[in-house]
Amino acid sequence: MAEVSFKHIKKVYPNNERKSRKGRGAKAERPANVTDEGVLVVKDFNLDVADREFIVLVGPSGCGKSTTLRMIAGLEDITAGEIAIGGKVVNDIAPKDRDIAMVFQSYALYPHMSVYENMAFPLKLRKLPKDEIDRKVREAAETLGITEYLDRKPKALSGGQRQRVAIGRAIVREPKVLLMDEPLSNLDAKLRNQMRAEIIKLRQKIDTTFIYVTHDQTEAMTLGDRIVIMKDGIAQQIGTPHEVFDHPANLFVAGFIGVPQMNFFDADLVRTGDSYVVRLGGFEVAPSEEKQGNLRAKGVGSQKVTLGVRPEHITLATPDMPSLTGTVDVSEMMGSSVHLHMSSLGQDVVAVVNTMDATDPTVAHRHNVGESVNYAFSGNAIHLFDKQSGTNLEF
Amino acid sequence: MATKEETLASEKRRKTIMSVVLAVICVIYVLPVVAVVINSFKLNTFVKTDTFALPTSESFAGWDNFVNGMTFGNYPFWKSALYSVIITVSSTFLILLCCSMAAWYIARVNSKFCKVVYFLCVFSMVVPFQMVMFTLSKTADTLDLNTPWTIPIVYLGFGAGLAIFMFVGFVKSIPLEIEEAAAIDGCGPVRTFFCVVLPMLKPTLISVGILEIMWVWNDYLLPYLVLDINEYRTIPIHIQYLKGSYGTVDLGATMALILMSIIPVIIFYLACQKHIIKGVAAGAVKG
Repeated sequence: MAEVSFKHIKKVYPNNERKSRKGRGAKAERPANVTDEGVLVVKDFNLDVADREFIVLVGPSGCGKSTTLRMIAGLEDITAGEIAIGGKVVNDIAPKDRDIAMVFQSYALYPHMSVYENMAFPLKLRKLPKDEIDRKVREAAETLGITEYLDRKPKALSGGQRQRVAIGRAIVREPKVLLMDEPLSNLDAKLRNQMRAEIIKLRQKIDTTFIYVTHDQTEAMTLGDRIVIMKDGIAQQIGTPHEVFDHPANLFVAGFIGVPQMNFFDADLVRTGDSYVVRLGGFEVAPSEEKQGNLRAKGVGSQKVTLGVRPEHITLATPDMPSLTGTVDVSEMMGSSVHLHMSSLGQDVVAVVNTMDATDPTVAHRHNVGESVNYAFSGNAIHLFDKQSGTNLEF
Repeated sequence: MATKEETLASEKRRKTIMSVVLAVICVIYVLPVVAVVINSFKLNTFVKTDTFALPTSESFAGWDNFVNGMTFGNYPFWKSALYSVIITVSSTFLILLCCSMAAWYIARVNSKFCKVVYFLCVFSMVVPFQMVMFTLSKTADTLDLNTPWTIPIVYLGFGAGLAIFMFVGFVKSIPLEIEEAAAIDGCGPVRTFFCVVLPMLKPTLISVGILEIMWVWNDYLLPYLVLDINEYRTIPIHIQYLKGSYGTVDLGATMALILMSIIPVIIFYLACQKHIIKGVAAGAVKG
């Protein structure tokens, strides 16, 4: 139970050290961040995590999210900046004295100890009385449904059970901050969904601050109170799942959050007096009033823009309506919806078409490969990004 | 084209030939040990004349050879056995403890110093003992390392190469996350090593332990050169001193003592055989 604050955090790996880190070689092959100092992994990272908040750091491999988490844990040195837990700067405090607990992707259980001993280990080190250790371990085991496995060794458990034990070992100490480094990445898809739901339940049961790292945007969206989207060591956007989904700060965030990925078109933004209209391929769409207001406030003029539209906001149209035309390349039946991959305006466009909506005559029709399809989208659903910098023009 | 039956027949023939060849090799390997066992129960005169013959009513000596061997000369056998046990146990303990700690440091701390130490250890494995034995025994004398209580330090120096090589290979295969988890759970480096790393090293500890025990227990040259022979003898040295005056040797008694000295190692090896194979593989696969 503590707030965590990051002030101007910077992490640089000296060139030789970076190369020698086995298993993280993928990051070392990115020359973009290499400076004279070394490899810049995290750059001017600022964040205030409130007490009992669930923060998710999300981004592609090598974006610095795990490094940031490891800096909170004290497993990595901080090159510059300050990390404070509960108002106390912890830069030079050993991991064991930070009152944090961490769940690793690879579970990191002690193979020679039983589940009970694994969970009791951090408490034993804190010299708690035996009966208290026993009570706490059994409580945590009860919460996670692993009571029946307490006498087993980790090797006799499945992946999901092992991860529960790892979580148990972390929560049994009632740490101020619970750090989770891609805890579900080693599990199969079904188990991952199940564990995700359990983490949400767990979060309601225990009062602690969560900092969770993942590369899976679904986990980020479902778990986090706020999400930090990172790329190349820089926080691209920090906001609630709704904010980052509805108002992505830049092209990267827009493309990263949402499955399937947002469609991007080259378009012209035309300003006539106080009103705006977006033109592409003979199709015109006026941004919503709210968006127009934001653009006006920012003093945005006529210019070439990147237009972003989420696949689920694309609707199929009849040829007599103002619309764009595409040719179906692939039609993926997903159950409640169909993902149509189309060629349109010289690029790929993906549309998610709801199959449950029987009142829409265009949906009832099956779309064959090679068929021509008309589609459109409304001014509420569009996102406008600067052509050069990629930032959202409304911001 | 060969029919299926022909292929099977040639396969069977090949296997039979292989079995025979391997059986012969096994016999050749076991023969010296068998000869020791047989001859330890034969009278001295028959050892030389009918070396590979089984004891007959005429040549059978019963337990006499064992009694003679143990009571021969003025140096008691129990003392040699005691020194052998002391030196073997303390040397092996020292090698396992120091080398596992050193290997953990070498594997985890990525510095030039560690690399140099590691290469020196690997290099030391190719240096034959005979090359350094005189300078080593001189140094051991100078440093007062010439008693059963201090000779383990010399063994540590000599055994470190192989032990560190094997331990480093195994430590590298332990995920770093486990040690990081221990650090977060509240362990300092010492506790991390003893509570987390060392228990995980068990297979390698056993295989290195077996190798070192066999080596130290059977070693003749190093204690012979370093120890004060009049005061301290190990079993191999004791056997060497079974020679009587004018170079006569009681071969029956020698065989009996050799048998007594190899029995503990064989029992120990058989008991830990499962682990030695597992341990060698565990250290070797990932390096």
